[in-house]
Amino acid sequence: MKRMVKFTKLMLVLLVALSLFVTGCGSKPSAPAAEAPKAKKLKVALVIPSTVDDLAWSQSMYEVLKKNDKIELAVSERMGKPVDASAAIRQYATQGYDIIFAHGAQYYGILKEIAPEFPKITFAYGTGSQTGPNIIAYDPQAQEGAYLLGLLAGKMTKSKTVGIVGPVEAGDAIKYNRGFQQGVAAASSDIKLRIAYTGSFGDLVKAGEIAKTHMDAGADVLTGSSQQVPGAIKAAADKPGTYWMSTDMDQSSIAPDTVLAAQVYNWEKIISKMIELRNQGTVGGQHLTLSFADGTLDLKYNPKLADKIPQDVKDAVEKAKKDIASGALKIDVSK
Amino acid sequence: MDNLVGQSIFLGIIATGIRLATPYLLAALGEMFTQRSGIYNLGLEGVMLMGAFAGFFVSLTTGNPYLGLLAGIVIGGLMGVIMGIVSITLKAEQGISGIGLYMFGWGLSGLFFRLYVGGITTIEGLKPVKIPLLSELPFIGSTLFEHNIVVYLAFLLVPVCWLVLYKTGWGLKVRAVGTTPQAADTLGVSVDTIRYQCLILGSMMGGLAGAALTIGNTHMFADNIIAGRGFIAVALVYFGRWSPWGILAGSLLFSMADSVQLWVQVIGINFPYELAVILPYVVTIIALAMTFGRIWAPAALGKPFERGARG
Repeated sequence: MKRMVKFTKLMLVLLVALSLFVTGCGSKPSAPAAEAPKAKKLKVALVIPSTVDDLAWSQSMYEVLKKNDKIELAVSERMGKPVDASAAIRQYATQGYDIIFAHGAQYYGILKEIAPEFPKITFAYGTGSQTGPNIIAYDPQAQEGAYLLGLLAGKMTKSKTVGIVGPVEAGDAIKYNRGFQQGVAAASSDIKLRIAYTGSFGDLVKAGEIAKTHMDAGADVLTGSSQQVPGAIKAAADKPGTYWMSTDMDQSSIAPDTVLAAQVYNWEKIISKMIELRNQGTVGGQHLTLSFADGTLDLKYNPKLADKIPQDVKDAVEKAKKDIASGALKIDVSK
Repeated sequence: MDNLVGQSIFLGIIATGIRLATPYLLAALGEMFTQRSGIYNLGLEGVMLMGAFAGFFVSLTTGNPYLGLLAGIVIGGLMGVIMGIVSITLKAEQGISGIGLYMFGWGLSGLFFRLYVGGITTIEGLKPVKIPLLSELPFIGSTLFEHNIVVYLAFLLVPVCWLVLYKTGWGLKVRAVGTTPQAADTLGVSVDTIRYQCLILGSMMGGLAGAALTIGNTHMFADNIIAGRGFIAVALVYFGRWSPWGILAGSLLFSMADSVQLWVQVIGINFPYELAVILPYVVTIIALAMTFGRIWAPAALGKPFERGARG
């Protein structure tokens, strides 16, 4: 027993020393500020539910922030649980970050709690629409691209069966699924469209299983949203003749012969807007939508498969895109 | 509904259920040995994650899925050694050290993935293998006999484990060590050695289960890809009353229910998806609740062995 107590004390001392060392290492960057602060970088923090390389929701935002050289970026990954996320957000806030991104619809609740304590910091989250004095909501109108992808899917399916791999019926997924449904219906009324949910945002195995089941039931075009879709995309890739419609970002790198088109989120404009607003003194209260109208949403075709799409199909999609961008075609997400 | 369509859906459900059962079956059979010897390894999830990554990584770098499976087994064994040192030699509280092993496996696999692979990368993996003759059988041929080899292995291991546990001398030692370790000790059985062997064997099977998932099913790795299946496997050991056939029944029950709910959603039956998703868990709980009689767990489960202590 005595030996164990001594050992425990030794471990505690070592742990304290280690954590001091780590803290010391972490705070080094503040030292050399010799030159005039002509290009003071904005301190931005990004809190994401998955990882920066999930090839979906989180990676799309991460890559854009990383490329921006006016920003000094810090990232906290695997913050799926709001408790962990709120601890991380609070820490960034006390360290004086200028903009803190809580990249997920589930984070609004904790932002509502934390934001009032740090009125000079801009807290941004999405997909969402509720704002606060220093909370900005970004709201990709996923249903717009979804409509176009659904239209494309409806016209490209040979088996007249299309499947959606859904995570949970919430936030971004609802908009995307409803837009997609309407797109498919606009293509043809005799197409079977089925949706199956995994019940989670991060279960790649489940997503793959749903994709396989869709294909076993006859679907030859699939789509889906959230960070678990790479599992489904791979399952689709393993069955040649199946197409996948992507959202969040271009996912054709893992399945170049399968991903036909993608709805891409161009976060750059949103981020510039936020920085601009900050410079003008506005730290919140904005509901920023991403849509085709201003180019923050875009449709990208996989160049490798571009010749598989008949010209009249491309024309139909282009026309729909113009109509959405101009406001002539509105996609209703209420049903 | 068309008779032919109904038939193909039914067969589809069975085929999916068999495929889904594989990781649970492998991991739970391994954990059965561990628990039969008196150790409960809650770190099975971490073992599966490390096996999943090791298997995927070796498959990716060598291009050989079988080497990948082997790597999963080896890494699983190493995780078992770690758990053994903590729970057998250092006699730590097994529940807590198991959770620690889980977090270790989760963190390390994610870290190695980030460092050595980078982003989402896919592999060829295992392809389904048709068993000659048997797969030509009408109806059930392709449903039962057209899976990848790890699926066949998992089901074949059920009678093998039964034989080993009940019909071999070593199996008797395992059961003795898990029930009355003091008595076994007086008869010259090295309790700690047997427990180490079982823990390593169990973890090797857990590692194989994880590798089977990445190499045979998803053909990719991602952070936390096992998503709690290791814990379900531990629960299945209890459900199966520490017997290979019980574990087979439990794994099939759970996986078939899961397969049913997937198909229900996919063919468009109007059923709230939230209920569909929890169906396998509900079915398992109901099945557990309906079984009467005392549950005979290995009597020494969870108690570190101290020579001279009571028991």
